[in-house]
Amino acid sequence: MARTVKRWLVLLAAVSLLLVNAVPAAASPAPYESYNYNYWKEAVPSPDAYLPERTISGRDLGISEFKDPGDVNVSPSGLIYILDSGNSRIVVLDPDFKLLRVIDGFMMDGSKETFNLPGGLFVDEQERIYVADTSNGRVVVLDGEGKLIQTITKPESDILSTQFQFQPLKLTVDHVGRVYVVAQGVYEGIMQFDESGKFIGYVGTNKVERDYGEYIWRMLSTKAQRAQMVLFVPTEFSNADIDHKGFVYATNIDPGSNEPIKRLNPSGEDVLKRFGYVDVKGDIRFRNNPGPSKLIDVKVLGDGMYSVLDATQNRVFTYDDEGHLLYIYGGKGNQVGTLKTPVAIEQSGERHLVLDRGKNNLVVYEPTRFGSRVNEAVALHYRGEDTEAVNIWREVLKLNANYDIAYIGIGKSLLMEKKNEEALGYFELGMDRKSYSVAFKRHRREMMKEHFGTFLTAVIALIVILILTRVAVKWRRRRQVDREAGFH
Amino acid sequence: MKQDFIKFPLHLIFHPIDAFWDLKSDNRGRLLVAFAALVLTIIMMILQKQYAGFLVNYIDPRTINSIIEIATVAVPFFLWCTANWAVTTLMEGEGKFREIVLATGYSLIPVILIYAPMIVISRFMVQEETAFYYLFNSIAFFWFVLLLFIGMMTVHQYTVIRTIITMVLTLIVMGIIVFLGALVFSMLQQLYEFGYNIYRELIFRT
Repeated sequence: MARTVKRWLVLLAAVSLLLVNAVPAAASPAPYESYNYNYWKEAVPSPDAYLPERTISGRDLGISEFKDPGDVNVSPSGLIYILDSGNSRIVVLDPDFKLLRVIDGFMMDGSKETFNLPGGLFVDEQERIYVADTSNGRVVVLDGEGKLIQTITKPESDILSTQFQFQPLKLTVDHVGRVYVVAQGVYEGIMQFDESGKFIGYVGTNKVERDYGEYIWRMLSTKAQRAQMVLFVPTEFSNADIDHKGFVYATNIDPGSNEPIKRLNPSGEDVLKRFGYVDVKGDIRFRNNPGPSKLIDVKVLGDGMYSVLDATQNRVFTYDDEGHLLYIYGGKGNQVGTLKTPVAIEQSGERHLVLDRGKNNLVVYEPTRFGSRVNEAVALHYRGEDTEAVNIWREVLKLNANYDIAYIGIGKSLLMEKKNEEALGYFELGMDRKSYSVAFKRHRREMMKEHFGTFLTAVIALIVILILTRVAVKWRRRRQVDREAGFH
Repeated sequence: MKQDFIKFPLHLIFHPIDAFWDLKSDNRGRLLVAFAALVLTIIMMILQKQYAGFLVNYIDPRTINSIIEIATVAVPFFLWCTANWAVTTLMEGEGKFREIVLATGYSLIPVILIYAPMIVISRFMVQEETAFYYLFNSIAFFWFVLLLFIGMMTVHQYTVIRTIITMVLTLIVMGIIVFLGALVFSMLQQLYEFGYNIYRELIFRT
């Protein structure tokens, strides 16, 4: 008997061991942990907004491997242009990532010219390719077939010094053909050229962050000492993109700045909205990470949204037009989906493309249900269709009950529908004090309108009662006094 | 009863110079009132953190801890009384320890009287009106400081300058007490560790 029991126990133990291994621990399919910042500036876990779908390398396309690719751009018609800097060529893919053609040079003045370590490219609506040909010191404009249209070389201008070296790194072009160039060693801002290639001027200078300790130190030092100190020069821009209204989004890599992303209006002022809980500057907490984010690329996604690429932690941060941080994905590593040395971010349809120079490939990210719902809702809100956005926000909340922006979104829509009291609760959950105040003001006025009559009646009744009791007390006391005096 | 516990404290906060003198010379102060004021102040602090309106309440609800709240009011209160007593004994102050406690306790009354309605009113404020909330909170604080100042001056029979000097010295002494306390605590802990280690050595040697 005892032996059977023992045998059964052993069997049970064996089976339980098997079962433990049979059910794998639930794991996220992403090789990175997604998170977002809450009102208290804590990083809280969040569902993945984008998941890596595939990677594309040169071998996948049937050509030689990429070598130090520098930039990627998707033209308005959907073609994907990869600037393969190390191989001095442009690889053109169709929206399904099939190879269309390779541009490895162009004809100029009857001879074949090639690129020399080009840094950036941009493709406009007419499929014209603008290449920042860095080491050749020029910007090359080609048509869709790869035929030369024009080159922009070192500008002639009174405001440029004679030793000036024109080394364009990144560029973007607005819909009338003005070219915005981020050039190496240019602190004055983004260089702006008109459609014929004439230098117009600079836009959007970065302000020098003044360090007052250093300032005092400088005052106390001698001229010889001062000559050896570092100069306070503004930081350079790292990249630029343009939205459909012609506003230039630019990033700089100043580690001390709280405004590394700028949205420049035509006169060069920064008009980016920063209404979110956290600064629009990538990561804000560094517990295990070194230092602040180094933003090296920005992509305008449409509907007010934009993504920035952080080269410190290799993450992508997406914001809406009001500066709310929508989602974060990506990370450091060697798996598919994590990045080694990312250099550029692009958008192709719903997908995001990140070019990884370290691994010489292009990583394709696909939105999850959460990510696409957020995008949809933000877009609807941006277009003013808040009522439609509400249902999507509710769905987002089912996927992530900690998503504050969704609460605010629902609250705002309720506010539009004059459901002020309900909106209050949503604004409190989303910690949006400004909107809460607006909703509460309306709610209070409504309550006042409704109950003012009752309130006033009550007050008047109370006053009357008080006066009456006073009189009664007085009267009684006088009566008593009179009685004691023997008047009655 | 009503005279001592309600009317006199209310009279005191509006006529502090007369009332503190009455408190000292006519023995009008009640320790019970002073401690009640302390307890009520603590309660008001807790209630404010918990129930003040959303627009003025920037406290993370997860960090509210009543024990800490009690400590942040009660510890400085008694520290102040002790340090002030220590300083004024040396500086020819006429106040007894009881009188110092009474003066400090009675000075807290405006804080209670202003905080209580402001907690309720703040729940019906919009953003533009929150300025009043902060204004009244500051009034409560400055009223408290003023009463404490007049209380100290009257209780110890000091001049204005001397009162200011003693109050500043009191603050310094408070710091010294905290420092010494921490020192003693840390030393006691090390002594305990030392004794415990010897005990362990002896136990394992046998």
